[in-house]
Amino acid sequence: MRRGLMRWNAEELPLAVLQERTARLQAAMRQENLQALLVYTNLVRPSAVTWLTGFTPYWSEGLLLVGRDGAPTFATALSKRVASWIRSVSPLGEILNAPRPGTALGQRVAADTSVCRIGVVELDALPSGSYDDFSAAAPAVELLDATALFAGARRGADAAERHLLARADAIAVAALEQVDAAGATDAGSVAGAIEKHARLAGAEEVYITVASDLMADRRMIRPSAVALGDIFALRASIAYKGCWVRRARTFAKDAAARAAMARGDAWFAQVVQSIAPGKPLADQINTQVQAFGAKLESWMAESCLGSYPLQVIASSRSSSNGAPATGDFVVLSLALTIDGVPWVGAAPLIVGAAL
Amino acid sequence: MTPVASHRRKRLAEAMRQAGLDVIVLAGNAWQNDYLRYATDFAILEGQGLAVMRHDGNVALYLDSVLEAERAAVECAGVAVVHAPDLAAAVDEALNRLRNQRIGGAPYRLLPRRIAARAKDLNLSDETTFLDTLLMAKLPAELDAMRRAARLADDGYAVFLQAARPGRADYELVAEVEAFYRANGVDDNFQIIGVGGPEVRGMAPPSGKRLKAGDLVTTELTPCVDGYYCQICRTLVVGTPTTEQQAAHALYRDAMEAGIAAVRDGVTAAAIARAENDVFRHHGLGDYVTSEYTRVRGHGMGLFADSKPHLLENVTTRIDAGMALIVHPNTYHPVVGYMVLGDALIVTKTGCEVLTKMPRELFSVGV
Repeated sequence: MRRGLMRWNAEELPLAVLQERTARLQAAMRQENLQALLVYTNLVRPSAVTWLTGFTPYWSEGLLLVGRDGAPTFATALSKRVASWIRSVSPLGEILNAPRPGTALGQRVAADTSVCRIGVVELDALPSGSYDDFSAAAPAVELLDATALFAGARRGADAAERHLLARADAIAVAALEQVDAAGATDAGSVAGAIEKHARLAGAEEVYITVASDLMADRRMIRPSAVALGDIFALRASIAYKGCWVRRARTFAKDAAARAAMARGDAWFAQVVQSIAPGKPLADQINTQVQAFGAKLESWMAESCLGSYPLQVIASSRSSSNGAPATGDFVVLSLALTIDGVPWVGAAPLIVGAAL
Repeated sequence: MTPVASHRRKRLAEAMRQAGLDVIVLAGNAWQNDYLRYATDFAILEGQGLAVMRHDGNVALYLDSVLEAERAAVECAGVAVVHAPDLAAAVDEALNRLRNQRIGGAPYRLLPRRIAARAKDLNLSDETTFLDTLLMAKLPAELDAMRRAARLADDGYAVFLQAARPGRADYELVAEVEAFYRANGVDDNFQIIGVGGPEVRGMAPPSGKRLKAGDLVTTELTPCVDGYYCQICRTLVVGTPTTEQQAAHALYRDAMEAGIAAVRDGVTAAAIARAENDVFRHHGLGDYVTSEYTRVRGHGMGLFADSKPHLLENVTTRIDAGMALIVHPNTYHPVVGYMVLGDALIVTKTGCEVLTKMPRELFSVGV
């Protein structure tokens, strides 16, 4: 569950920004002749609703109905007693507290005979309970997948989102700075220190994973009391006001390996600044790694396009080799071998601009 | 695989054979993961998961996050992990190959629409209740995990008490507890908090409120140990408690203890809730045990922080020995505001074993 700081701040996320996002989505809906759009949320898949309303559920689930015009309506299974809290973190639109959000919104739609085509973000993945409730209450309405439509309208981070992403990133960077590689003993204690620092700085959520002995295994798992090896890596996935970033860093106890780590970190910082629009990511990464003289083990680019905070948009495992556009938000993760030493890193970026 | 996970999987396989189920599909995510974890023992963090388990105990875990699939491959022994970016499509295809068999799903309402829409074709039935029975009636190894989690609930509240002082923000208290938990092997924690006086109607995530003299600070802490969540609810006062705050707390303590006294094998959930609520009614506060002011009077615990059964006067679920519950008469008090008090317990044949040991007092932190 979310248990970090959750508070709407009008300076960070002005109401006008939310209204502009909704209007942009409604324009896209009109082009597709959709009279409404349905968006699901829970704490694992919050991001589409967060982008539109600022609201992230700390628990439970809900559905947002975006009409042709005006503010959206949010229906949630969170109880009526929590309504004042929801209003305090979500300034936009009507809030319906209903044990079955699908039924509540379906009934509302059914009452408007002009609504016959509704888009659903990630229709196939919509929980069957929500789908069945909505369909039963509005049987005459045609439900169509609107994942691509939403992603198109949502693509490109506006100034408010960039500000929140930058804040999340600053929290992640500062939290990972707490790691004293030479003195670190077990993964659990290190993770606890990172998490504490991030939460004290106002993080809404913090996930820490660790590769405790990078020479043996690069895969990251949840931290436990396991001893840290000579070279280890930590990944901090941090949310601030609904915006998620990842930072990963490699740490070495030995001075010689630390030099390789520092070289990798400095090079990666420059790579993150240099990702250009209009050029395939795979080509850009391969060129940069070649020039650096390291061995590329794997790479991954994530962004936020739908309900997931971060989803893979391209990687060394996939055949897609898309080109990012100016203003796209990307988290870039790389795994290299530098002078025979394993190194991993991850950082967020805005294509063609500073974060 | 941990011994408790191994016991669970064997029990589920046996129950499937007895129920004539060939395959079960279990959905999970970081919000509700108890059904998925029962078979896989995977504590999912990001994305969604679906497990497909056969009655011979064979389990395939489909995860839509590549990072989670990578982690599961390390953390989940004896499970075939499949990274499936299009989760619904991948599992739909897997079930298609099994459609001449009897397939169940749980929790059914969380299955992706794409799969549930093919229920008839796949011979897929809602087996949520079937799993609920297993989730509620715990194995001895599960109860041992609950006891370990209870110790960390007590220890976590001690950290919370130590952290609470005037001027600190609510999220800073949670940060201290989380750091303690991560350093002590606690994967997850359900925690909400309330800070203030009569204007506070419930608990929620931290909003940045700073503690000041006279505030009631309520919290429910629910650490997760080896997958099992155990809860404690306590209230503290910043400064010296007022007479009204002390009187209110005494009433909540009476209500909780009446509820705990009603617990034993064979009673209903309603009987426990009624015992708690009668104390409020006796003091003329009957309105405050309704849904206008409170959600539940306690609930089950286990692989989910808010398991069945819910303790409410209209829930007739039979309480059996081996269930783990929290009894908490948490509600709004018209004079002092929202107040909480709750202890975790295991139901026995003749009563219960109370797990949480933190004194049942209205704590006070200095100003």
